[in-house]
Amino acid sequence: MSFEELEHTADIRMRVKASTLEGLFSDAARALMTVLYGTIDPGNICRHIEMDADDPVSLLHGFLSELLYISDVEELVISGAEVRITGNHLSADLLGEPFSREKHTSGREVKGISYSDLTIVREHDSYILEVIFDV
Amino acid sequence: MLQGVKRLAPFEWEVPVGYVPGMRVPGRFFLSDELAETLEEGAVQQLANVATMPGIVKNSLAMPDIHWGYGFPIGGVAAFSIEDGVISPGGVGFDINCGVRILTTPLSEKDLTKKRELIERLFNAVPTGVGAKSSLRLTQKELDGMLTGGARWAVRQGFGIESDLVHCEEQGAMAGADPAAVSAKARQRGMPQSGTLGAGNHFLEIQAVREIYQEDVAKAFGLTPGQICVMIHCGSRGLGHQVCTEHLKVLEGATKKYGISLPDRQLACAPLTSPEGEAYFGAMAASSNYAWANRQVIMHMVRQVFSEMFHILYEEMPLVYDVAHNVAKLEEHNVDGRRMQLCVHRKGATRAFGPGAPDLPGEYAPWGQPVIIPGSMGTSSFLLHGTRGAMERTFGSTCHGSGRVMSRIKAKKVLSGRKVKDALAADGIIVRAPHDGAIADEAPEVYKPSAEVVRVVDSAGISRLVARVVPLGVIKG
Repeated sequence: MSFEELEHTADIRMRVKASTLEGLFSDAARALMTVLYGTIDPGNICRHIEMDADDPVSLLHGFLSELLYISDVEELVISGAEVRITGNHLSADLLGEPFSREKHTSGREVKGISYSDLTIVREHDSYILEVIFDV
Repeated sequence: MLQGVKRLAPFEWEVPVGYVPGMRVPGRFFLSDELAETLEEGAVQQLANVATMPGIVKNSLAMPDIHWGYGFPIGGVAAFSIEDGVISPGGVGFDINCGVRILTTPLSEKDLTKKRELIERLFNAVPTGVGAKSSLRLTQKELDGMLTGGARWAVRQGFGIESDLVHCEEQGAMAGADPAAVSAKARQRGMPQSGTLGAGNHFLEIQAVREIYQEDVAKAFGLTPGQICVMIHCGSRGLGHQVCTEHLKVLEGATKKYGISLPDRQLACAPLTSPEGEAYFGAMAASSNYAWANRQVIMHMVRQVFSEMFHILYEEMPLVYDVAHNVAKLEEHNVDGRRMQLCVHRKGATRAFGPGAPDLPGEYAPWGQPVIIPGSMGTSSFLLHGTRGAMERTFGSTCHGSGRVMSRIKAKKVLSGRKVKDALAADGIIVRAPHDGAIADEAPEVYKPSAEVVRVVDSAGISRLVARVVPLGVIKG
């Protein structure tokens, strides 16, 4: 797995590692959905999103916040995100399965994506993201 | 204690200007030596960061349940001048007007012979947990009513009685709410979630009054020893979360526009008098009203269950009080002998207005407002009242809960939901949740002892203990 949970007293702090920026966003999406729903399986419901931001950190914040919104109102457990980033523009094809009260029983509600301690750094051949989910 | 922090009194500490660059006022927090052992450096850093914000008055404050949050620390309080101060979603949080209320019943412990059935019926009546949907089918117009009218709207719709309203802060509806500042996305999230408890640390708890510290005040609050009470803890659900997320983005732009320099992006803010600041205030007040209506609707569901099971009337289950603990409010306070209009941000802190303060029902006026401090699911909760000391030192504020000491990742490693549930059952506390993971996450061990937190605020004089209540049954989201 390319994400792990780090120590944080009040909330959930995640560290995500990927070899590309696009991969980092995609894995961050999986990290978020795993927190929200516990078990995630590949789904076949498609959604497409596009957005712009001033910098990669804002783009990531906007991307995860949008996933929270879509997942909440469409009751969609997003299992995959194919992300393309050009400059400060993102487009993503999302795949998901319907939320089920019987199946998705081990999740936690995420209230928001925090800007505090939100970092994306490049280390050798990898991108590393640290992000806090308010739960 | 951390280096650079100075003790002022047995329970009061100062973070001097200079602890982080750009501080405009000193930080101040309330803590006992016992609680100091769990103080995180990150939380003190956040307290100091808040002190760098424009227009902050007197002190950046934190209550004894201080811990590392985002933007403000949890337990943080800061007041900003209306003329040259700012408003920040980072000082309120994602769960706008997360709060707690307590109602009493005419029942005593011996009447609860069917406790498990009661818990089960409550669990079925109140939509709970991730993905839970409301039985209410709101139209946009009704949602507007909720956003403007808060608990008043709910009572008009039949979810309660008129006397509930004076027992809510702001009489259950904050002035200045602007439904137009609540986006279509936020509305979409809010409509199916009105009247749902949510998940995480939100709960519904059946309690018994176990100890009374001040008889005359307890009497005014309507509390008697052994009495059964119900405590409800929840907030503005997805609607508030979306409002925070969206306005944070707008205010980030505003921070740059108004040339404000900040040490943390989550502290994004705008002058209170700017269009961006006013829009956030309007949306935040509307979300607060949604939360008050939400708690009112949930209380109605609770009363329905009690009514059916025990044949008691709504009037026999009065609301003691409803407090908000994630909110920014316009208030008037004395600052160095001068009356000032302020915007008081409380993030994980409770208003604790003292005797004679405006906004209090007559029966509480001689004592100060009721303050409700929930414990964890296995430990006592407390009722306190606000004091003049709080008015003088903390802009009428006190703690809001126990504060976590153990991360969720550690809780998952060392605690099992099933074992926690069994241990609580052995103590006579029934816990009902959609899944056991939610129980381990919120086990008593992950929180600071609530008794120690309230001992500090009582000893420091920023609120005074009235009664202790113990859990008998808990519904967790």
